[in-house]
Amino acid sequence: MKNARQREPSVIPGFGITLGFTSFFLCAIVLIPLAALVLKAAGMDWERFVAVITSPRALASYRLSFGASLLAAGMNMVFGFAIAWTLVRYEFPGRKIIDAIIDMPFALPTAVSGIALTTVFAANGWIGQYLEPMGIKVAYTWIGITVALTLIGMPFVVRTVQPALQEVQRDLEDAAETLGAGRFYVFRRIIVPTVLPALLTGFTLAFARAVGEYGSVIFIAGNMPMKTEITPLLIVIRLEEFDYAGAAALGCVMLAISFVMLLAINLLQVWGRKRMMVSR
Amino acid sequence: MSIALDQVTKRYQDQPVVNDVSIDVGEGEFFVLLGPSGSGKSTLLRAIAGLTGIDHGRISLHGKDVTHVRARDRGVGLVFQNYALFRHMTVADNIEFALRVRRMKAADRRARRQELLKLVALEGMDERLPGQLSGGQQQRVAVARALAHKPQVLLLDEPFGALDAKIREELRRTIRAVQRELGITTVLVTHDQEEAFALADTIGVMNHGRLLEVGQPTDLYAQPATRFVATFLGAANLLLANQSVDGIRFGATPVSAAGTDVAHSGRESEVVAVLRPEEVELALAREGLSSNYIARASVEEIVFTGALERLRVRILDAPCAAQLLGGTAGEALVEVTRTQPERRDLPLRAGAHVVIGARRLHVLPTPLSSFLACAPTEAAAAQLAHEPLLESLSTRMKTRVGLRVIDLSAPAPIPLAGVAAIQAGTEAANTVEWLLRHGAGEVLVLPHNAPSPTRVFIHWTEEAARRATLAVSASLLRHVSAEAVYLGIVPEGPAGTGRAAPMRALLDARSEAQHDHRLEMRTELAVGETVAELTRNLSAGTSQMLVLGITNVTHAASAYRSLLAAQPGWPVLIVYRPPETRAAPEIAA
Repeated sequence: MKNARQREPSVIPGFGITLGFTSFFLCAIVLIPLAALVLKAAGMDWERFVAVITSPRALASYRLSFGASLLAAGMNMVFGFAIAWTLVRYEFPGRKIIDAIIDMPFALPTAVSGIALTTVFAANGWIGQYLEPMGIKVAYTWIGITVALTLIGMPFVVRTVQPALQEVQRDLEDAAETLGAGRFYVFRRIIVPTVLPALLTGFTLAFARAVGEYGSVIFIAGNMPMKTEITPLLIVIRLEEFDYAGAAALGCVMLAISFVMLLAINLLQVWGRKRMMVSR
Repeated sequence: MSIALDQVTKRYQDQPVVNDVSIDVGEGEFFVLLGPSGSGKSTLLRAIAGLTGIDHGRISLHGKDVTHVRARDRGVGLVFQNYALFRHMTVADNIEFALRVRRMKAADRRARRQELLKLVALEGMDERLPGQLSGGQQQRVAVARALAHKPQVLLLDEPFGALDAKIREELRRTIRAVQRELGITTVLVTHDQEEAFALADTIGVMNHGRLLEVGQPTDLYAQPATRFVATFLGAANLLLANQSVDGIRFGATPVSAAGTDVAHSGRESEVVAVLRPEEVELALAREGLSSNYIARASVEEIVFTGALERLRVRILDAPCAAQLLGGTAGEALVEVTRTQPERRDLPLRAGAHVVIGARRLHVLPTPLSSFLACAPTEAAAAQLAHEPLLESLSTRMKTRVGLRVIDLSAPAPIPLAGVAAIQAGTEAANTVEWLLRHGAGEVLVLPHNAPSPTRVFIHWTEEAARRATLAVSASLLRHVSAEAVYLGIVPEGPAGTGRAAPMRALLDARSEAQHDHRLEMRTELAVGETVAELTRNLSAGTSQMLVLGITNVTHAASAYRSLLAAQPGWPVLIVYRPPETRAAPEIAA
């Protein structure tokens, strides 16, 4: 028997080099810092670790961080889809400009967007002054945090859903229509299932970004312990107190929760993709 | 009538993509819409399905006007080229989609689904996903899905386009069988003439948004009325022949021809004839031919294609070669196909000298054969021949533009053949008069750089010119994507008097255009002085053109002088038939 696993020559050589480079890069900028974080946290004894990560202030911050992030990502899923739909399906003056503006939150320093949002939504701001009499306080509350997180996460959803929507063949909708389906039925049964994987990807990205967001939130949050204090801010506060181990412990918790949530979403997507298109 | 389209027009950005199409499809008929890409056939199909709105006209399904009915309420089944299956649903869910929408009970849905899967020979595939099926199987599912709700009409948009040859043929047979079994009225769109022949009860050929001809496959192939249909349905050699009372003459040799019913004027006229490759006979010498001798030729190229041998032969006799249309300039090549027995009887190699004969020649009933650019000097004539409108017309009509130097002070030395084209201007009226007096039947007056028209007005002064004008207009409009508008003009008079007769003439004109020339045209009635009204209508938009029918040269030359001299002006095609020709006997085939 001759060598059964003869490798097919690839057009682009250097699989070894590229894999090596990939692993090196991943180690150097992702895995080693994360390991250092875990190691630092491991320096504390177990009781202290538990005490730090379950302190009422920490628990409140998790709730706010992940709650606001989920809410923001969810909102982005709805509105990002609407924006992507508008950009893909309609031809109108200024479409190109709007398309370009979508990417602004990517490019803007987060502190700038935080300050801008605070200015607008503060009790005497452009929008805040009208919301105030209605009893809606945005700046310095969890609402403000959600607004900031929605802003920075929005491009992720739009940019992932856009190509997927472009691929939804008009023929599919036409086919459904000739078969007697109304518009809402077509939307629900044809369009949404087709773009769902992309929508979930967008959601995941927006969520991940929101959880890690710091710069824009601290300006609009007001940072009141137990009320409007996000976990990243709590970590910074711990660092400023030179409590490196405490900061690392909180970091580990964030890491764990984020990892579990992202894993869950990814699994959901894999399952969905299997159902959707077996071969493509 | 199962499907009735009445003057359906669809425009995109003012360009008509479907132009005044009227079709009647009978109950249970398999109708194939055939045309090249961009001919508007798919748009028309989508309009029938209700997915595309139309700008003008009416669509009826089974006697019910559905022009303004939404697609989902029309009760049609539509099959797409790329299947358009819902990829996230199983075969069963795909097929049951229409039934689910209609809230049919699960048990009934299942029964219907089994029935349909049996019909398209896909039993047991219920739980597969589209991605797990081959292209042919997916299209079968699409057909089953389109039939689930028992539509009155089945529409198929290039359903075999994405499949390879073997599968295509198999699926073709399935679709024909299903259609026969259900007796469902079916419209299929394709650009493949072989497919059209294999499936159709009736074929409608479209080009530039117009429906050119409708007929049974065999009739359309043997007796096409237009050069487009002649060349699109199978290969065809087009040639210019001369027709007179004595018969058809090609170059110097008389040939017998079938299917001639050109309105004939006694004098010799130029006609366009179709010579199918399989109707060409090859022999080594003139005595060896069993059919009519045409010319000497040399074999240029031989291609073996299995059942048939394809040859291209070059005509060696100069006068004959000049009469051959199509191909590139100076390339007097005739396409020939021979069967294996023919090939065995006379094996040929490239370079061999042969003679060719025509077993059957079909004369097209088109009055526009070729163009003749006429000008006072050779250079001006050559320049005129390169006018964009003339160039595009001659290319689209697959015909040639000859050059002729004319001298208005002398009689014409050789008879004029084809449509004479002249430059517009102050001298135009005199030139037109001279040309018409020297035997020209049609004169095209061209302003410099005139664009291809988007609207063609048709008008005639005397009813005697009606038939010829309509024939010429129909022939012209097959080759430009423009709307045709017949402009009836009544002189100003006391209100209410004498309007009925012109109105009747208008309707007569429309129905004659429709029935005798397959020309769909709009009609408008104007009140006023003829030339003023024509000028007003022509000036009302850009890219307009006029076809003007006359029977009296002297009168026309004076009456239309200002129209022809207008700046920048419009292309005007003058159709002249002297009144006495009406009595001339028609020549039998």
